[in-house]
Amino acid sequence: MSAGVMSEGLWLWLTLLVIGSTTILTRGSFILAGEKGRLPPALQRALRYAPAAALSALVMPDLLLDGGSLDPLNPKLAAGIVVVVVAWRWRSPWLPFILGMAVLLLMRKGLGW
Amino acid sequence: MESSFRRGAREGMRDFLPISVGLVPWAMVTGIAMRSIGLSPLEAMGMNLLVYAGTAQLGTLPLLASGAPLWLIFLTALVLNLRFVIFSAALAPAFHGHRFMRRLASSYLLVDGMFAIGADKLRRADDAQWRWGYYIVPSLYGWGLWQCCVLVGVLGAGVIPRDWSLEFMTTIALMVMMIPMLRERPMWVAALVGGLGAVLLRELPLRLGLIAGIALGIGAGFMAERALARRAAR
Repeated sequence: MSAGVMSEGLWLWLTLLVIGSTTILTRGSFILAGEKGRLPPALQRALRYAPAAALSALVMPDLLLDGGSLDPLNPKLAAGIVVVVVAWRWRSPWLPFILGMAVLLLMRKGLGW
Repeated sequence: MESSFRRGAREGMRDFLPISVGLVPWAMVTGIAMRSIGLSPLEAMGMNLLVYAGTAQLGTLPLLASGAPLWLIFLTALVLNLRFVIFSAALAPAFHGHRFMRRLASSYLLVDGMFAIGADKLRRADDAQWRWGYYIVPSLYGWGLWQCCVLVGVLGAGVIPRDWSLEFMTTIALMVMMIPMLRERPMWVAALVGGLGAVLLRELPLRLGLIAGIALGIGAGFMAERALARRAAR
């Protein structure tokens, strides 16, 4: 039992180290290599789309799926729409969190959705 | 006579201070989010020190929570950090001639805000000492501020009741990061295709759907950009 917990802890730290390696790999890519390489312009333009595509690929399944199947009528999607509207309309860093969580909690706890 | 390092540091701090305020809510949310998937305070702060990249930290949390395979976690973090390759390429000349350890520290500390305020000045300044002061002092200050505010979130998360669906904070944070990117139409295309692709391809083995969705989104955004440019040229 304790050995299992131990290896689980070690595995987690290894995973965190692997995630951290991507920080150095990307931020250091050219700074550490000196200025030997140049990024092809076409690749540079394509890479601009990586964050938006990745963030959306992480967010949309969470908003649209409930227990693995498509469910457009779920509280997370409703809260998500509120977040998008609020973040689009106002630049406040706190408001999307407060209103998004409020909608989710209201629907889940208040309405028992 | 003030050294050029100090003059650079002073100007860097003057530029960076106003935008550093924006780090505070992010850092606190990141701290709470890390605790919400069950990381202990020590593990959360360990992640914060090892990764020091809010997007990659928040983006990999759902994968950590669901026990996703290591390679998928690695690839996702890599994609979320890919923009830094562009920043790194743009800033590399500013660190030319510095020792390896300095360049390693500069790489670890490179964040979006510092790039946004400093890329231009760092490229144009001739004085290497001024550039070093301009970059390293605000970067270290930003690092300290981030660590402190994450710690506040990590410790504060324990006060919030368990059944408050706190893990949804991660999803909100990822959305709030994404929305300012969607100012141009190709970005919309990249986000829509990436997101719907990940949803529709979710049955792929080894959870390849996430990576496939991201790749489709990048390709779609790039193609949309070229199509729009062609239409504008006509």
